[in-house]
Amino acid sequence: MKTVFEKSSAEIKGMEMPAPQVEKHIFAEGLLRDGLRLPELSEQEVARHYTALSKRAFGVDDGFYPLGSCTMKYNPKLHEKLAALAGFADVHPLTRADKIQGSLALIDTLNSYLCGITGMDAFTTQPCAGAHGEFLGLLLIKAYHASRGDGARTKVIIPDSAHGTNPASAVMAGFEVVHAGTDASGDIDLDALRALVGADTAALMLTNPSTLGLFEKNVLKIAEIVHDAGGLMYYDGANLNAVAGVVRPGDMGFDVVHLNLHKTFSAPHGGGGPGAGPVGCKKALVPFLPNPRIADTDEGFRFNYGKRSAGRVSAFYGNFGVLVKALAYIVTLGGEGIAQASETAVLNANYLREKMSLHYPIDTSRPCMHEFVVSMKKLKDDTGVTANDVAKALIDRGIHPPTIYFPLIVEEAMMFEPTETETKEGLDRAAEAFGEIVRLAYADPAAVKRAPVTTPIGRPDEAAAARHPVLVG
Amino acid sequence: MSDYISLTDKEREEMLSVLGVGSVRELFADIPAELGRLKVRLSQGRTQKETEELVSSFAARNKVYKSVFLGAGCYRHYIPAAVGAIVGREEFLTAYTPYQPEISQGILQAMFEYQTMMCSLTGMDVSNASHYSGATAAAEACLMCLGKTRTIGVYDNVNPDTLETVATYARARGVKVVVLPSSGGKAVPYEGEADAVYMESPNYFGLVEDVTAVADAVHIAGGKLVVGCNPVSLALFRTPAELGADIAVGDGQPLGLPMSFGGPSFGFITAKKEFTRKLPGRIVGETADAEGRRAFVLTLQAREQHIRREKASSNICSNQAHAALTASVYLSLMGSAGLRAVAETCAANAHYLADKLSEAGAPRVHKGEFFHEFVTDVKGKAAEIVCALDRQDILGGLVLSPDRILWCCTETVSKSDMDKVAETVGRVLK
Amino acid sequence: MKKYSETHEWLEIKDGVAYVGISRHAAQELGEIVFVQLPETGAAVSAGQPACEIESVKAVAEVNSPVDGTVTAVNTALEDAPELLSEDGDAWIFAVEPSSAAAGLMTEEEYKEFLG
Repeated sequence: MKTVFEKSSAEIKGMEMPAPQVEKHIFAEGLLRDGLRLPELSEQEVARHYTALSKRAFGVDDGFYPLGSCTMKYNPKLHEKLAALAGFADVHPLTRADKIQGSLALIDTLNSYLCGITGMDAFTTQPCAGAHGEFLGLLLIKAYHASRGDGARTKVIIPDSAHGTNPASAVMAGFEVVHAGTDASGDIDLDALRALVGADTAALMLTNPSTLGLFEKNVLKIAEIVHDAGGLMYYDGANLNAVAGVVRPGDMGFDVVHLNLHKTFSAPHGGGGPGAGPVGCKKALVPFLPNPRIADTDEGFRFNYGKRSAGRVSAFYGNFGVLVKALAYIVTLGGEGIAQASETAVLNANYLREKMSLHYPIDTSRPCMHEFVVSMKKLKDDTGVTANDVAKALIDRGIHPPTIYFPLIVEEAMMFEPTETETKEGLDRAAEAFGEIVRLAYADPAAVKRAPVTTPIGRPDEAAAARHPVLVG
Repeated sequence: MSDYISLTDKEREEMLSVLGVGSVRELFADIPAELGRLKVRLSQGRTQKETEELVSSFAARNKVYKSVFLGAGCYRHYIPAAVGAIVGREEFLTAYTPYQPEISQGILQAMFEYQTMMCSLTGMDVSNASHYSGATAAAEACLMCLGKTRTIGVYDNVNPDTLETVATYARARGVKVVVLPSSGGKAVPYEGEADAVYMESPNYFGLVEDVTAVADAVHIAGGKLVVGCNPVSLALFRTPAELGADIAVGDGQPLGLPMSFGGPSFGFITAKKEFTRKLPGRIVGETADAEGRRAFVLTLQAREQHIRREKASSNICSNQAHAALTASVYLSLMGSAGLRAVAETCAANAHYLADKLSEAGAPRVHKGEFFHEFVTDVKGKAAEIVCALDRQDILGGLVLSPDRILWCCTETVSKSDMDKVAETVGRVLK
Repeated sequence: MKKYSETHEWLEIKDGVAYVGISRHAAQELGEIVFVQLPETGAAVSAGQPACEIESVKAVAEVNSPVDGTVTAVNTALEDAPELLSEDGDAWIFAVEPSSAAAGLMTEEEYKEFLG
């Protein structure tokens, strides 16, 4: 398809803007640029171009989207309407506090709900995404240890099943990464952990349920080992959708958490963002939260500037529009609804796994949480058909592929997360489609390797793209 | 409250019996008993109608002004209705990161076009597919330049949130931050050692900087220059690339995004070609499928955290894709003439107001060319002026100190609004 | 005659210069190679320590120097055609002037056995 630039015509002048009501300012000539290349199209042409692009995309409303670890649940339409209200969207972030009580109250209310859900004592909404939250959360931990004169705590322990953001965030926050081994079911090896922790341990980062979709049974023991060594526990909230309303990270022994409002709390992913990654912490770390903090005073909500902040990580107060959507979600569901959503997410995942196991060997001996991982190694060994091939074949059957090749500790991994909003019919159909692809792999592997055939393009040459990058058109 | 769950009770029963369990709670058997059940105390659920009423009541407690003269990093511009209608399509709004290129060509192509537009505005060779904000874009751009001095210089006349964010990112990595002086509001070329120097043009006070002079000094000292810029101003001014910058960054909010209490917006990072593999976050490239059909893919992924883990140069995963899409649609609708008209009107309005305020007794504090923001001396009456304007449904400029107000004019303010501001300032100062 | 390391690099001495590349096995494991971050000429390298990096579409691998020494040349052909490493197990990446004798390397036969 032609790019918007290729559709452009020099004859068209774009949207007409009102002429200035005052005299035009003439800048010194040396300051001004020569030309500016932008698309030149009529409004209808722009609308058609982007509508055509949208038809070459796949959203949650288009079909089943079991992308593991991404929690692709339905995004309520009401939330878009609310975030777009002039009272939110047309408000400047630097307006005097007494004129923006609604925004401040909303953030404060959301923070208190998030404290209730996680068992933390305070939250900040400044981080714009999960990884951004990790970075800030680790800075809080660093500031906490430093405030106690404990500068020797330079290491962060991360299980090898973790998301790549965890080790990358630890390095950005100035820590050294130590890898903790996990057993076949993704649980941390406690003896190995005991040997790892020490006077240099700043924290352990844990996703629970783990990226294998299993609840870390020993979490209390792990917290005890880390705390006894003087370290802190960091909760990666990527998988909170399994346990929100059921169990709180704070009770599991975590000291700092980040949440992904664009996962658990139903804000849409927008093709890659914006998300929101608020960070919560226990009392001892509250002084290090970034400024400004919101205080509920006798005169209403006010901004507060602490002296011990670990530092600002972005402009203003984070992705406020996303916060509006998350709050709407929480108040609609309420405590019971949130627990019911988690329970249904877990039920759907177990059900899908069970149904898929009728077609391909999948270990179902231990209940999974909201997602599960299937290794396609046997299929690859038997037929040459890989996880990637199966993913592409699912596309032809109207299903967005699961996450593939993650976690790294499982060969030929496919990670399915159906979420609570999927229908039983959708789950049944997905299991059938999976079974059909597995049978096809044994009968005619080349047919699976040709997939997808129903899409505007076939598999692109990614090697060529990376060898000789063409990044602008 | 169960609007968003699709299972019926009957289906739930069927599914449990397939699993051979009596209740869903049995599936949670791995959770240690001592963690117990639910200490979460939240409100009861609500209907959508009740939620709408509740959340709208928060919005009603904010004041929406008829006229806004406050900028300082967030700007009210006119947003064509087509922008919201187009980007609100669910395929754009609800999709994940385009990991599966065959069903994501629309989003990938839109990102490719976005990268092209950003490079066009800044004159740079390469762009990533967006960062969180202008502040984080500046921070990561400086980190891209890290070398042997492990020092980053940041001018004291840049947006203070950006300065603080750059400092947070740098210090976290043990990198030294030197705050560099300005004189008369403008950057003084820095000849000391630094891996990166960050400046803004227009700067926090709206002044157009002599970027080339700073670039020359920085380059002689062996460093790289990162320039933060307002993308609307780039419709008028020579590009950062032309002026000698190595990396150009900024906040994209002025390009068709509402102020939204400061977010979501997005940061752009564009750079000279040599920095291609150091760019943080997602990048889209063009390639072809086996039949030679044009295709777009996420590329150069070996830079990123999901592959390189602790050796990745950045931890960014989710970015601000939908906000970047919004900017692309806005720019497509405006075209070069439309964007230039916006920029010219902003500048014309700001210069008109500056003259009027000067006549009213509040002259500009700085000399030199400015874009659409400027600082005036209000002789200790800043708070009083802002209050007086508030009573007329006008959001006044940012109070920097009792003596100083930072004003901003976009194309959304009318001549009569500006006259009203000047008249009010004159009245208060009398 | 190429000699192999346990981390899948090879070393071959030709006319007194030690050339370093990666084994066919390593190239196959990586998949399509898209970028080679060449070391700098004059850089000191140590046996068993990373000297440079190669990237495939979805992986990145470090190339260890099989020997102590100084990098005397790099194969600039790989800048434009990194695929040479995927296609041909003979493409060298960099050349080293060894400062001590290479130790602990395997013959081709031994390496094959090592791969199993």
